[in-house]
Amino acid sequence: MPARNLLDLDDLSGSELTYLLDRARTFHTTPPRRDLLRDVCVVNLFFEASTRTFVSFAIAEQRVGADIVALPPGSSSLGKGETIADTAITLAAMGVQIIVTRHPESGFPYRLAESFDGHVINAGDGRHAHPTQALLDMLTLQAEFGRVEGLHVVLVGDILHSRVARSNVLGLRALGAQVTLVGPPTLLPEAMALEGVRIERDLDAVLPTADAVMLLRIQQERIASAVLPSLDDYARNYRLDARRLTALAPQAIVMHPGPYNRGVELTEDVFAFRGWRYAQQVSHGVYIRMAVLDFLINGVSVRA
Amino acid sequence: MRSLLIRGGRVVDPSQGLDAVRDVLVRDGRLAQIAEHIEAGDAITIDASNAFVAPGFIDMHVHLREPGQTQKESIASGSAAAVAGGFTAVACMPNTEPALDSPALIAEVLRLANVAHLARVYPIGAITRGRNGQELAPYWRLRDAGAVAFSDDGSPVANPRVLRQAALYARDVPGAFISHCEDAQLKGEGVMNEGAQSMHLGLAGSPGLAEDVQVARDVLIAGDTGKLFHIAHLSTAMSVELIKFGRARGIALSCEVTPHHLQLHDDCFASFRADGKVNPPLRVEQDAAALREAVRDGTIDAFASDHAPHTLEDKAQLLSEAAVGFSGLEIAIGAYAKAIPDLPAARFVELLSCNPARILGVGGGSLRPGSPADITIFADREWRVSAASFYSRGRNTPFDGAVLPRRALVTVVAGEIAMSDGRVSPRAMLG
Repeated sequence: MPARNLLDLDDLSGSELTYLLDRARTFHTTPPRRDLLRDVCVVNLFFEASTRTFVSFAIAEQRVGADIVALPPGSSSLGKGETIADTAITLAAMGVQIIVTRHPESGFPYRLAESFDGHVINAGDGRHAHPTQALLDMLTLQAEFGRVEGLHVVLVGDILHSRVARSNVLGLRALGAQVTLVGPPTLLPEAMALEGVRIERDLDAVLPTADAVMLLRIQQERIASAVLPSLDDYARNYRLDARRLTALAPQAIVMHPGPYNRGVELTEDVFAFRGWRYAQQVSHGVYIRMAVLDFLINGVSVRA
Repeated sequence: MRSLLIRGGRVVDPSQGLDAVRDVLVRDGRLAQIAEHIEAGDAITIDASNAFVAPGFIDMHVHLREPGQTQKESIASGSAAAVAGGFTAVACMPNTEPALDSPALIAEVLRLANVAHLARVYPIGAITRGRNGQELAPYWRLRDAGAVAFSDDGSPVANPRVLRQAALYARDVPGAFISHCEDAQLKGEGVMNEGAQSMHLGLAGSPGLAEDVQVARDVLIAGDTGKLFHIAHLSTAMSVELIKFGRARGIALSCEVTPHHLQLHDDCFASFRADGKVNPPLRVEQDAAALREAVRDGTIDAFASDHAPHTLEDKAQLLSEAAVGFSGLEIAIGAYAKAIPDLPAARFVELLSCNPARILGVGGGSLRPGSPADITIFADREWRVSAASFYSRGRNTPFDGAVLPRRALVTVVAGEIAMSDGRVSPRAMLG
C-alpha cells in the first residue's frame, strides 16, 4: 500500500526511506522508460518563489512521463478568495492526481491533503518541512559514504527558520545518523532539542568529528528583525572559511541546500574544497523526485 | 408570576456557608425561603434530587459580537448559549464593531439583552476609545450607562503611561480594569505557544513570557495607582506567581482561568488546523498543572470561559489567518469539572458565582432570602459535547466530542426558568 502523500519524512517508514534512496540511485544509473507516470496529471502549485525545486520537479515529472501543468509563482489565483478545500476539489475534479506544492505558510500541504482526493507532495512549507530536499541530501550522503547510519552530520546556521533542517533531522535520525545542530540561541533555541540530536554553540569544536557539514542560508532580514546583530558577527562564529575547512576530517563533505550567500555562511574557499557537494545535491534532486513520483503512483516496484 | 419550588437538591451556597439538602422556594422573582421541607401547593415544582442547587453562575468573560459581527454571535444567541450552559449572567467584552466605548453603545447592549430576555448581560466598557490604546474612554459616563468593568480585551493597552493614566483617572469609578495580558511585540506573529511543539511544526510561537511581562506590569500599575485590576485568563505558571507577589504586597487584584487553559496543551496543532488557536495560547502541562493548583489554593478567584464564537469559515482558514478563540459557554461547567474532578462543590460555586459577582460588583452570587432568584441547578452526569447543537452561533470548540462529567440541568433567571434539561425557554427565545 503506497503512501498517499509525501508531506514530511515522518510519512515514510525506515524501509520506505531506504527504498526511495535505492530507487533514486537506480534511476541515476539507468534512466527509466518515460512511461512510469503515463496519463498521470501533475500540477505544480507554487505560492512562493523557487527556481531549483520548481525546475527539478518539472524535469523529474517529464522523465517519468507525467502530464504537467505548472503554475509558476504568483500566477495562481487558486488559494485566493477560495478556501483550501475548494482548490483541492477543483483540481481533483479536473483529474489531477498529484499536486506538488510550495507555500510560505507551514502546514499548507497538510490542509490541502485533507481535502484532496489524490497525492500531495510537499515542495516546502513555511519553515516546517522540505522532504524531497532532505531525501536528496541523504542520497548525497549515501553516494559519498555508502551509508547514512552512523555518520556524524552537522547542520549549521538558521535552524529555527529552516524547513530543510527540520526534514533532515527527521530523516537522518530515522536512518541512524548522529545529528548535531549548531547556531546562536536566537536561531537555535534549546527547545529544538530532540532525542538523539545534540545542540552545540561552538562550530569549531564539532568540525573535526563531522562527516558532513550542512550549511543553511542566512537571510539578511534576520538583522532587521533583531535576530542577528550583523552578518559579520555571525561569520565570526559560524561562517565556513579557509581556516575552518582545514579543521575538517579528510573524508568530510560540505553541503548547502542553496541558494547560498557568498561571504555570509561560507566563503569562496568552500567552492574549491574537495568535499564541496552542492552540484551533486542538485543533480540528485531530480532522481529523488522521480523516485517519489513513481513511489506515490506505483508503490514499491519490483522491476529494476 | 408563579412561585417555584426546587425540591430536594443539594443546596451549595458559600455566601451563607450552606451545603445541605434543602428545598428552595422562589416567589416574585426572589428567593423566599430555604428549608428542609417546604410545601407550596401552587408552585411549579422542580425535582432536584441528585443535583446541586447553586446561586446563578456568572461567566465574567464572554464575547457576544454584537454590534458588528452577528454572523458569529448575537446578544440573543449568546444569551441563549449562556442559559443553556447554566449561566444566569454574563459580562461581555467590548471588542465589538464599533467597540463599546460610548454610553449609547452600552445602553444598546443592555436594550438588546433585555429583548432577548434570557441571561443577564453586564457590558464591559473599553479602557481606550476604539480600543486603540491612546485616548481614555469616558469611564464615569460608561458606568452611568451600565458598564460594570473596563477592558481593551484582546488588544491590551500597550503604552504603560496610557494604562497608568487610565487607571489613575478611573480609580474611583466602580468597576475593575480587566487585563488581557499579552505583550504584542513578544507575541509577534505567534499562532501558538512557543516551545518544543511550535519548533517541531515550524510554526511561529508566542512565548509565555509575553504574558508574564504584562502581568508583572499590570500588577505593578495596579499597586502604583490603587485601581482594582482583574487579570483575565491566566495561562502560565509564572502569572500565578506574579499574582501572589502582588497580593503579598497588599495590591488589590483578582484573576480568572478558562476551561481550556486548565487542561489543554499546545500539542493539538499537528494537523495545522486552528481548532486550538486561542489567545493567550494553550501552553504545556506544567502551566496547566500550576493553574489547577492555583484554583485549589485560592489564588485564582474565578472561572471564566472566554466564550469567543466564530463561524466555521473563520476558523477553517490557514493558521496565520484563522480566527482566534472558540465557544465556551455551553461546555464550561463540564470542562471545569473535568479539569479538577476533586474540587469541593462549595469552591466550584464560589469560582462560578460568588466571586464573579463580587469582582463585577453586581447582584447575584447568593441564595439568601430576598436576593434575585438567579439559580443554577447542575448535576454530575456524563454527556458528550456536540458543537453542532450549540445555541451559540459559534460551533467551534476543542472539546467537541469530549465526554464531560457535569452539566447544567436548569437555569433560573429572576425566578423564571430560562433553560430546562438542555432546552432554552421558547418564550425567551422570541427575542
